[in-house]
Amino acid sequence: MTMDPRPAPNTIVKHRIGFAAGLCAFGFGIVILRLVHVMVFGAGLAASAGAAPPVSPMRADFVDRNDVLIARDLPVSDLYASPSAFWDTNEAARDLAKATGADEARLKQAFAAKQGYVLVRRGLSPNARDGVMRLGLPGLTFEKAYRRYYPAGRILSDAVGQVDPDDNGVSGLELGLDQLVRGRSEPLQLSFDMRVQYVLEHEMRETVRTFSAKAAGGLVLDVRTGEVIALASLPNYEPNTRSMTPGDSIRNRLTQDVYELGSIFKIFAFAQAVEEKTARLDEWINIGRPLKFGRHTINDFSNHGSSLPVRMVFAESSNIGTAQIALRAGPTRQQAFLRHMGLLDGLKTELPEMASPLYPRRWNEVETVTISYGQGISVNPLAFAAGAAAVVNGGTLIRPTFVKQTTPQKGERVISESTSRSMRDLMRLVVTEGTGSKADVPGYEVGGKTGTADKPVNGAYGRHLLISSFAGVFPMSQPQYLVFVMIDEPKGTKASFGFATGGWTAAPAVGRVIARIAPLLGVRRSDTLAAANP
Amino acid sequence: MIRTLNFAFIAITGFVCLGLYRVAEEARVAQVDLRQTHAAIVQEQDALAVLGAEWARVTQPGRIQALSQKHLDLSDHAQVEFSSLTQLPQKAPPLAPESNIATVKAIVPDVKASKPKPAAVQPEEPAFAVVNTGT
Repeated sequence: MTMDPRPAPNTIVKHRIGFAAGLCAFGFGIVILRLVHVMVFGAGLAASAGAAPPVSPMRADFVDRNDVLIARDLPVSDLYASPSAFWDTNEAARDLAKATGADEARLKQAFAAKQGYVLVRRGLSPNARDGVMRLGLPGLTFEKAYRRYYPAGRILSDAVGQVDPDDNGVSGLELGLDQLVRGRSEPLQLSFDMRVQYVLEHEMRETVRTFSAKAAGGLVLDVRTGEVIALASLPNYEPNTRSMTPGDSIRNRLTQDVYELGSIFKIFAFAQAVEEKTARLDEWINIGRPLKFGRHTINDFSNHGSSLPVRMVFAESSNIGTAQIALRAGPTRQQAFLRHMGLLDGLKTELPEMASPLYPRRWNEVETVTISYGQGISVNPLAFAAGAAAVVNGGTLIRPTFVKQTTPQKGERVISESTSRSMRDLMRLVVTEGTGSKADVPGYEVGGKTGTADKPVNGAYGRHLLISSFAGVFPMSQPQYLVFVMIDEPKGTKASFGFATGGWTAAPAVGRVIARIAPLLGVRRSDTLAAANP
Repeated sequence: MIRTLNFAFIAITGFVCLGLYRVAEEARVAQVDLRQTHAAIVQEQDALAVLGAEWARVTQPGRIQALSQKHLDLSDHAQVEFSSLTQLPQKAPPLAPESNIATVKAIVPDVKASKPKPAAVQPEEPAFAVVNTGT
């Protein structure tokens, strides 16, 4: 009897069923495990799967140093229409034009073809969108977009700049800070103070009106941190309408243009003289007769007698005296000093539109003389302000910035502390006894320097065409802010006895600005105690 | 045994199908809710952005100045300054203690006794106040 080595059929069936049951159990086990996983841990996955893609503006807000809004991307809608869906294209065009402000004739013409999609209007506000929805027209598509909005309108428009329809920065800080602001979630805090900006623009506008001037520029600079607290150029433009009206200008005169600034440049001639000890402040200088250099004759604006002490040469803004002091240093040292003060190299800030200085290639004695009182060299006013800030802040050159800073800048030392102190005394003297008396504000120890430059027109200096300016600093005992105002082609008035010089036009404007902004900036009056306890 | 197993597996399959359907449906509803909530959040954020911009527009210094000149009878005076409370003039100390006044009253009956007022309290930290210096 032989044994059959094959297993019994019953056993095979049992094994197969067992194997199939095992497979099923394994499959169900996987399904159950997955269910447990989804139920216990799956909430996050579900949430992430269900979340809509983030919808956010392309550019972060610009806010001022006190978090006041300057620029923001606002949600708008681009409206498209499918004319084939309209029963009456003319009626649809009329209704849509009325609701959106679009050109009715253009819409009628575009709808007449009755095909494709027609852009009705870009950048519809939520209100306008609601108005369109109420029309109940078929075939309309809203595409969500963002549009840059500037709540302050013309205020600060030159400095902040513009974006194109696709929200890319094309000018001003919108361009200069484009990379920083793009895709950022937090607002970008600029150095501006909108209250100060308003005061500056308001006083400049009044000054332009009073003196029938062509244009004006002004700025307020923190001389310790380099922050530009306000920067205004008139005329300016309305950035929200993206259109210009007659008389508007997109030029930022403080940075895009260079000017021969006139006598305010004497600040540097005297700073050099004090620093290099080429003149003593109590030394008397002979100013009785005009200086002659070949065909050039150097005169003073008014007669100051036969001689003046050096400090009064500065206070009375004598060209003849300043020229003699500058000649002691000579062309080479003058050029080196001005370069050291950052006036001969292009200034670099967050603003991309920054004009480079213009100065003579041949720099001899005549050029030394004219440059000492601010003619024959053109710089942009912001570069001048940075140099003047270094003269009064203790002697360190700061780089102007448009982004809020928290600490003072550690700039390069360009003059000594003692020279800076002497220059502060001299600039205070200009206001107490010199040409800048109309800038004085009791209690704020205003110091400064007046400037009146002949304006070059077609290569020659125009008659009675002036650039009048004043650079004021306060408080002079511990300078905090520099206020610069420049008036382009002011005309004398009856009240100014026909004068249109810096002392009569820009200096009073700076005084009014300081009187209004000093309390806003928390600058305490030096005479408060005396006034409170007489 | 096999029959029992089959029934068990069929039952489990049924339960799993029901469970899966329930989970899928809950996930779908949750997704819809999530989308709606997200859309509502975006809408609120947009509304807030518009309101913030509108607020910035209506609170511009130029507009406030124009409105105040039109509706308020305020002087355009630049003499208002920030100062410290410590710089305000101090109250004079009381002239005499109560007992002295009683003595004087005994001598001169018409003298009215007045209670001395406490001296002005000095703040520990100098606070800032708005004063008109009138200069």
